[in-house]
Amino acid sequence: MTDPVLTSSLLYLDDVRVSFDGYKALRGLSLVLAPNEMRAIIGPNGAGKTTMMDVITGKTRPDTGTVFFGGSVDLTKRDEAEIANLGIGRKFQKPTVFENHSVDTNVLLALKAPRGAFDTLFGRAARDRRERIDGILRRIRLWDHRARRAGDLSHGQKQWLEIGMLLAQDPKLLLVDEPVAGMTDSETATTAELLREIARDHAVVVVEHDMAFVRDLGVKVTVLHEGAVLAEGPLDQVSADPRVVEVYLGR
Amino acid sequence: MPSQRILSGRGLVFLAVLVAAAVLVPVLSLAVPPASPFHLSAYAVTLVGKYLCYALLALALDLVWGYCGILSLGHGAFFALGGYAMGMYLMRQIGARGTYANPNLPDFMVFLNWHDLPVTWWGFSSFTYAMAMVLLVPGLLALVFGYFAFRSRVTGVYLSIITQALTYALLLAFFRNEMGFGGNNGLTDFKDILGFDIQSAGTRAALFSASCAALALGYVVAAAVTASKFGQVLVAIRDAESRTRFLGYRVETYKAAVFTLSAMMAGVAGALYVPQVGIINPGEFAPANSIEAVIWVAVGGRGTLVGAALGAVLVNWGKTFFTGVFPEYWLFLLGGLFVGVTLFLPQGILGLVDRLTAPRRPEPPAERPVAPDEQVLPAPVAE
Amino acid sequence: MPRKRMPSTRIVAALLALLAGIGAGLGAARAAPVDDALAHFAADKFPETDVGIDALVASGAPTAPAVLGALSDGRLFFDPGSRKVYVVDAAGTLDDAATGAKAADVTQGGLKKVRLNNAIRSKIAAAVGGLDLVSPDRTKRLAAADTAFAAHDAKARGAVEAALAKEEDPAIKAMLVQARAAIVAASGTGPEAERLDAIATLKARGDGDALNLVDQAGAAPDASPAVKAAAASAAAAIRFTLAVWQALQNAWYGLSLGSVLLLAAIGLAITFGVMGIINMAHGEMVMIGAYTTYVVQQALASSALGGASLLVAVPAAFLVAGAVGIAIERLIIRHLYGRPLETLLATWGVSLILQQLVRTVFGADNRPVAAPAFMAGSFHVGGLEITAGRMWIVVFTVGVFAALQIVLRATPFGLRMRAVTQNRRMASAMGISTGRIDALAFGLGSGIAGIAGVALSQIDNVSPNLGQSYIIDSFMVVVFGGVGNLWGTLVAALSLGVADKFLEPFAGAVLAKIAILVFIVLFIQKRPRGLFALRGRAVEA
Repeated sequence: MTDPVLTSSLLYLDDVRVSFDGYKALRGLSLVLAPNEMRAIIGPNGAGKTTMMDVITGKTRPDTGTVFFGGSVDLTKRDEAEIANLGIGRKFQKPTVFENHSVDTNVLLALKAPRGAFDTLFGRAARDRRERIDGILRRIRLWDHRARRAGDLSHGQKQWLEIGMLLAQDPKLLLVDEPVAGMTDSETATTAELLREIARDHAVVVVEHDMAFVRDLGVKVTVLHEGAVLAEGPLDQVSADPRVVEVYLGR
Repeated sequence: MPSQRILSGRGLVFLAVLVAAAVLVPVLSLAVPPASPFHLSAYAVTLVGKYLCYALLALALDLVWGYCGILSLGHGAFFALGGYAMGMYLMRQIGARGTYANPNLPDFMVFLNWHDLPVTWWGFSSFTYAMAMVLLVPGLLALVFGYFAFRSRVTGVYLSIITQALTYALLLAFFRNEMGFGGNNGLTDFKDILGFDIQSAGTRAALFSASCAALALGYVVAAAVTASKFGQVLVAIRDAESRTRFLGYRVETYKAAVFTLSAMMAGVAGALYVPQVGIINPGEFAPANSIEAVIWVAVGGRGTLVGAALGAVLVNWGKTFFTGVFPEYWLFLLGGLFVGVTLFLPQGILGLVDRLTAPRRPEPPAERPVAPDEQVLPAPVAE
Repeated sequence: MPRKRMPSTRIVAALLALLAGIGAGLGAARAAPVDDALAHFAADKFPETDVGIDALVASGAPTAPAVLGALSDGRLFFDPGSRKVYVVDAAGTLDDAATGAKAADVTQGGLKKVRLNNAIRSKIAAAVGGLDLVSPDRTKRLAAADTAFAAHDAKARGAVEAALAKEEDPAIKAMLVQARAAIVAASGTGPEAERLDAIATLKARGDGDALNLVDQAGAAPDASPAVKAAAASAAAAIRFTLAVWQALQNAWYGLSLGSVLLLAAIGLAITFGVMGIINMAHGEMVMIGAYTTYVVQQALASSALGGASLLVAVPAAFLVAGAVGIAIERLIIRHLYGRPLETLLATWGVSLILQQLVRTVFGADNRPVAAPAFMAGSFHVGGLEITAGRMWIVVFTVGVFAALQIVLRATPFGLRMRAVTQNRRMASAMGISTGRIDALAFGLGSGIAGIAGVALSQIDNVSPNLGQSYIIDSFMVVVFGGVGNLWGTLVAALSLGVADKFLEPFAGAVLAKIAILVFIVLFIQKRPRGLFALRGRAVEA
C-alpha cells in the first residue's frame, strides 16, 4: 500500500458498499479526510450518511470496499470498542448520554483512560483527571451543572455534554451527526463555535441538514446521494452544481 | 469527584442488622431456655436462615439486573449448582452410614448398581474442594455462557429467554439418573457437616450465622463493585449500551464479568441453603424458581441491593404465611405481586421510600423507557 | 389393520365355529371322499388319524371344520363295529360326522374316542389353516394366507400349494406365494432354485419378517454359495428399505411434533414476533382453549351436537382465549409498551393467576376430553404407521396457518396491523387507531393460542399446568425462526420437531430435548435474530 493518498490520509473510504435485504444503503462510497480536517457532509434523507458513520465506527460491516484509518488500520476488521480506542469518537443524532449519571460522571467515563474491566474495578484515579474534567466542563458550558443528573439537562445541554464526552475521549477523529437538530438559534450558534474550537486540534466530520449551520462552519462540503458522493468542494461551489440542485429541489 | 462512598447510611444499617442477627439468634436459640418467650426454635432459625440465602440470591440478581440491565431468568440454575456442590460434599460425609452401608458410594449409586465413583464426584470428600466448586462451577458456567451470549450481543428479552432455556435444560439433565446426581430424588439424608450433626440446634445456629456473614460479605462486595468506576460503567451499559461501546468500553467483557460474579454469589447462596433445608433436587432448576427470584428484587427495589435482600425476605415470609393459612390464594397473591409491582411500583419498596422521604432528589435509576417506534422487536411481517 | 396375533387356539375355535355354520347351511352331504377320510379315524392308530386329517381337508367336506374341531377337543368318536364316525356336540347329542345330521339311533356308550397326541394336535391346527386357505370367504382366505406366512410351518406347505393352485384373486395369490417362500426359507431345505426363488420373493416383500426369513435361508447348514449370496444381498436390500421406512416414520413423527410446536407457537409469533410483546401467559391461553374444549364437550354431551363438539370448541376457544387476551392487553400490557422486561414479569404474574383460577374452578387434576371417532385408530401407508389423531392435528395446523396468513394479508384488519407494526407513527397519522389494533392483534394471537388448546386437548392432559409445558418451546420456536416472520416460525417448528425425533432413537427423549435446547442457545449466539431475520437499520438496536 504505497498510495500516497492513502498514507497521508486520516480516514480513507474506497468503494464501500452496504446493502440491507436488497436495499443498497451505500453504493460505492469513496471519501478521503486529511488529518485535522473539518468536513461537512450533507445529503437528502436516505443518502447513506448514518450508514457511512456506522461503517466507520464498526457498527455495520461493509459488504465490499476498504476503510482505513490513519493510513494503515483496516477498520472493517475491528469492532466498536476497538475503533473507539483507536481514536474515533461518535456523536449520535439523538443526544445519548448516561441519563442516570451526573454530568461529572458522564465526562469521567468518557475520559481517556484504561477501559478494561480490571482497570475500572481496581484502578486508582489519576491525579490530573480532575483538572481535565473541569476544563472540559467549562469548555462545554456545563461547569455550573456538573452535579446534576444528565437526564435532567435540556436538549441542547445534552448535545453539548455529548460533545464534551467526545472531547474527553480525545479522539483523532470526531463524527458528529446532526448536532444542532432541535436547537434554538442561540444554542446553534454556540454549538458552531464549540465545533470550530474543537476542529483546531481534531479532525471532525459533521453531518448536518441545516444549511445555515454548514455555511457558518465554513468548511469543505461533501454531498451524498443514494449511497455515493455526488459532489465535493466549498459550499458555494457545491450548491451551484446543477446535479446537487436537482437532488435537493427536483424531488 | 464522582467517586461514591461504598457504604451508604442504609447499607450500614443493613450490615448492623445482619451482625446483630448473627450474634443474637444463636444466643436466643441455644442459651435461652425453651420455656422462655424469647427462645427461638430450631425451625424458626432454619426458616430465617433460608430467607437469608434467598436474600443473597436476590442480591446477586440485583447486581446484574438492577445495575447492568441483564434480566437473568436462570439465576436459579447457579443457586442450584452451588447447592449441588454442597450436597455432594454432604453426601460424601455420610460415608458408610447410608442404607446400603457402602463406604465408597452414595446410596443412590449402589441402588443403580454402580461400582465406581464417577469422576464428577472425585474430591468432594474435601470441604475445601467442595467450597471451591461452589464458586467455580456456577462461575465457569456463567463465564462461558455469558461470554458467548454477550459477545453475540444477545440482549434484553432474548437473553432472558435463553437463560430460561439454560436452566430448563439443566432441569431436564439433572432429572436423569445417568447424570449421577441422584436423578429425581436429588441428594438428601445428610448426616453431618464438618463433623457436626446437621440436625442439631448448634449446627443450625452456626449455619444461620454463616448465612448472615455470607449475605453481609456479598453486600459489601456488591456495594464496592457498584460504587467503583466499574459499577458506573455497568449503569452506563444499562442506560445506553451503544454509547458505552462507542466510548471504547468492551461491553461484553463487563457484562460477562458481572454475570460471573453474580453467579458465584448465587452459588454460595445455594450452598448455604442446602444444609439448612436438608435436600437438593432438580426442582431447584425449575424456571419458575428463577422468575420468582426476580420478583423479590422487583418488590424490594432493583438497583438498591438492600432492597433486593429485603424483598426476598418479605416475599418469602409472605409465602410461608400464606401457604400455611390460605394455600389456594398464594398463587393469586404472587401473580398479583408481579402485575402490581411492575404497574404501580416499578422502583419497588425502597424506590417508594426514597421518593417519599426525598421528593427533591432525582428519580432513582429506571429501566430506560423506549419509545414504541424505537423498540428492538417490532419488525414487519415477512412477505 | 391390527397386526397383533391372537392366541392360535382362539383363532381355531372362532374359525371352526364359522365353518361349522357354513357347513350346516350347505346341508346335504357329499358322498365318497368324506367317508374314505373318516374311515381313517376309525382305525384307532395315530398314523391313520394323521392321514385322515389330510384326506378330510382334501375332501373339502362341509362338515370338515366341525369334525376337526371335535377331534381337537376330544369330542370325536367312532363305532368300532360300523366304523362310522360321530361328533358329540356341546349339548351331548351325537351327529353323523359325514353328513352333520343327527344320529338318533346311536348312543355314546358303544362308541370309542378318537385318540390324540401332540403331533395330531399341531396337525389339526395346520389343517384348520389349510381349510381357511380354501374358504369361500375372501377375507378369511387372505387372513389365512397371512397367518400361513407368519407361521411358515413346513407342514402347511401342502395346504398352501393346494390353495395356490386354486386361487384366482391376485392379492391372495401373491400372499400365498410369499407364504410358500416363507416356508421354504424357514425350513432351510429344498432345491437351490426353489430357495433362490423364495429369497427373491421375500426380498420383494421387504419387511422385518421377510428379513428374518431371508437370514434363516442364508444361515441354513446346507445353503449353497449362491443361496448365501442371494440371502445376503436380499437382507441388505431389505435392511435398506426398512431404514428408509424408519426414516420416513421418524420424519412423520417429527412432522407431527413440529405441527404441535407450530400450533403452540403460532399465536406467539403474532404477539411476540410481530408485536414485540413478551407474553409469558401465552401458554395459559393454550390451556384456556383446552378447558373451553372440555366445557363445550360437557355442555353438548347429551345434545344432538355432541359428536361435533370439537367443531363448536374451535370458535369457542378462539373467542374465549381472544377475549382474555384483549382484557390482559387493555388492563396491563398497554401500560407497559416499550418496557419488554417488565411486560415479561407482569404477564408471568398473569399466568400464575390464570393457572390458579383454573385450578380453583376445575380442580387440580386432569379433565377428560374425549376424542371423536374420526380421530381414533391408525392406518398404514406402505411401511408407515399413521395415527389418525396426529394426522388431523397436522391437517388442522396447516389450516390454522393458512387462515392466519389470509387474515394478515387479505383483510383490512391484517393490513392495518402490519401498518401499525411497521410504522406506528405513520399508521397513527393515517387515522388508524393504533391502540385498537394493538388490542385486536393481541386478541388474535391469544385466540390462536386458544385454538391450539383445542387440538392439544386431544393429545395432552388437560390440567392447569398444560400451558407451562409449551411456553419455553414456543419461545424457542419463534426466536429460532426469526422474529416477525411467520414462515420462519413454520420452518423452525417443523425442523425442530423433525430434529428432535431423529435424535431420539440415539439419545433418548430427554437428551434429545436437551440437545435441541443447547443447539438453539448456541444458534442464537450465532444469529441473534433467528433463521430468517430481517436485516437492516430498522431492526438493529
